[in-house]
Amino acid sequence: MNKGFNQIIAIAKREEKRILSRGLYTFCMVIAPVVAFLFFTTLMGEGLPAELPAGVVDEDNTATTREVIRNLDAFQQTNIIEHYPDFASARKAMQQGKIYSFYYIPAGTTQLAISGKQPVVSFYTAASYLIPGSLAYRDMKMMSEYASGAVGRASLYARGYTEDQAMAVLQPIKMEMHAVNNPSLNYSVYLSNTILPGIIMLLIMQVAIYSIYVEMKEETAQQWLAMADNDIVKALIGKLLPQIVTWTLMGLLCLFMLYGVWRFPLNSGIWPMLLDMFLLINASLALGVFFCGLVPSLRWALSLATLWGVLSFPISGFSFPHWAFPNTLKGLAWLFPLRHYFLIYVDQALNGLPLRYSWLNIAIMLAFWALPIMLLGRLRKFLLEYHYTH
Amino acid sequence: MKWLRNIIEVWVYEMKCALFDEGVIVFFIIVPFLYPLLYAYLYNNESVREVPTVVVDNSHSQLSREFVRRVDATGDVDIVSYCQDMEEAKEMIHQREAYGLIYIPKDFAKDVAEHRQTTVELYSDMSGILYYKAVFSSCTEVSLEMNKEIKATLIPGATEQQISAFQYPIEYQYVPMFNTQSGFCTFIIPAVLMLIIQQTMVLGVGMMAGEEREKVRKHIAEPHIIGKNPSEVLFGKSTVIFTIYIIVAVYLVCIVPMLFNLVHIWRWQTLLAFMVPFIAACVFFSISLSSIAHDRESFIIMFVFLSIPLLFASGISWPSSNIPIFWKGFSWLFPSTFGINGYVRITEMGATLEDVQYELNALWIQTFVYGAISYLVYKRTYGKQLWA
Repeated sequence: MNKGFNQIIAIAKREEKRILSRGLYTFCMVIAPVVAFLFFTTLMGEGLPAELPAGVVDEDNTATTREVIRNLDAFQQTNIIEHYPDFASARKAMQQGKIYSFYYIPAGTTQLAISGKQPVVSFYTAASYLIPGSLAYRDMKMMSEYASGAVGRASLYARGYTEDQAMAVLQPIKMEMHAVNNPSLNYSVYLSNTILPGIIMLLIMQVAIYSIYVEMKEETAQQWLAMADNDIVKALIGKLLPQIVTWTLMGLLCLFMLYGVWRFPLNSGIWPMLLDMFLLINASLALGVFFCGLVPSLRWALSLATLWGVLSFPISGFSFPHWAFPNTLKGLAWLFPLRHYFLIYVDQALNGLPLRYSWLNIAIMLAFWALPIMLLGRLRKFLLEYHYTH
Repeated sequence: MKWLRNIIEVWVYEMKCALFDEGVIVFFIIVPFLYPLLYAYLYNNESVREVPTVVVDNSHSQLSREFVRRVDATGDVDIVSYCQDMEEAKEMIHQREAYGLIYIPKDFAKDVAEHRQTTVELYSDMSGILYYKAVFSSCTEVSLEMNKEIKATLIPGATEQQISAFQYPIEYQYVPMFNTQSGFCTFIIPAVLMLIIQQTMVLGVGMMAGEEREKVRKHIAEPHIIGKNPSEVLFGKSTVIFTIYIIVAVYLVCIVPMLFNLVHIWRWQTLLAFMVPFIAACVFFSISLSSIAHDRESFIIMFVFLSIPLLFASGISWPSSNIPIFWKGFSWLFPSTFGINGYVRITEMGATLEDVQYELNALWIQTFVYGAISYLVYKRTYGKQLWA
């Protein structure tokens, strides 16, 4: 027992030296994750993008239409940067990427409104840009409702209606939306909470594979295994130990940025998320070792891990809903640790549910270690007998 | 014409290197071929629009049932269940059987009948971006429509026209342009396609350069380099990658959008004039970067993760008008930033070459700057070998 422990420590120390001797490891295990954390959290630091460039085509140009445009400009998400003489030039500005939306008021609008003939104004959004497009839609729709409502209310008051009566006429049924747990609709909450752990996961798998099979390439694998009396379990524990320590620190940093610095919803308290991060790190390492056991080639194992890692982002379902995927892929999603991480995060940090809601995902994350354990014999054989080829 | 023969020699040799290297083939051909198919398969589902939603109807009236029926009929919401109370409804959301909740109060029908404003409360699960807007906009549309009908009974003696004018002295219409279905596939795939071109090229070129670096360390000479100057080597190598990627690009930016019925209203002349500088910029960008490739595999770990930040830095998701200046500067280093923006506008919004002039200029500048860096890199790498 004691001997085994010493062997593991010796291998871990050897690994530490290997890691410190190459800038590649420092880059992938420290610089890359830290830069990615900073990138996503500061990129979307505003939460909801404000003052999106918009345009106006005001062919009517009366005191009333100018008032409408001023009001629209005052909305938080809209910033009117230019007035265009006609529809065609506004469309052109959109094609040039200068504006995401524009408001079109045809000539005669005010005159028709006064005489009760219901003129039509329109608003256009560049729907190719999903987020700015839909935010512009929201502001312009609110503005249009507001403009109509103001004129309608005024004429009802003139007929002697009280405010409540007027509202009952203008809007008998009213909608009230509650965005529980993310009331400001912060996009960074939607995205960073899963993208940051996803980047860690991708790098964990790749670094683990590289660190194992680079031994085959440099023809040091036998030496490495010999330090553990050719016991693959001890050899792997020793090798992965420094990585686990580093990744745990990176995971803590990630959680600290999300919930400490940016104060994202954390309705479960920090412990379930610490558990979630720990499980993700472990499942990612397990997958990394599994890919090594699957194919005796640094490049192919890395390619598999890359495919798995990159696919994790769409398939985990934080941007495009999981239930809308084709059935085959719905099932496949179970094999992605990031999917489980995301679901545990939703139950815990976002919705603050009891831990029992997440038991299945927790169990599956733990079960990821079963994958490489099945292939340990194969991996040992690969390391001892195979040689690096292109 | 010795230089031309030299270039052709390099070209032929490098082309063989690329096409007979299984690892390089993976990045140059297999990934660009398969990845978009997988992505498009993932997102090409129309039912994304139907967000599963539950109803708590305390009103139990004809009016409330009519409201729910109409919401169910919209394209964005699918009513999956009626619940007894809020507890049951919330539990269904917690079990991920529903992502939206509509709560209709007890006095819903009574309020309307007695000319009081009534409020329907909507809740959405905040785990995904698309739920909130789907539930909110569908219910709002239905309420506006029903309000129009209700008010007809509210102003006695008024004509239809008068009532309409009260409600909407000014009518309005909304026109989503270009991605008219607001489809997720149409939104994300074009950006991913352009990113695939740049990223697979970086990985493949990095692998080729890593291989060379390994050979140099093992003192294995490269016969085709001997007697040629760096510019000939650079020209030969870069045209190999350029040739391969022109073919790859035809598949990615022309065939894939047609295959999956994405919006594609480009003019081919515009697309060609844009893709040439984009690919050229990518080629020299990849060669410049490849100078730091230590071995065949190191680029895979160093650059794959970058794809995700780069997708966001392009401004396709988080709007570029709101990207902090520091990250904007960072994004200008990569051809993908300009490539994605230009391609999306050309292919989905029918932009002409003048409309994407800014992106086009940036790509040409990148081509020359990275071209110059590539030359210096090659001069350093091969210079010693050649004239020593």
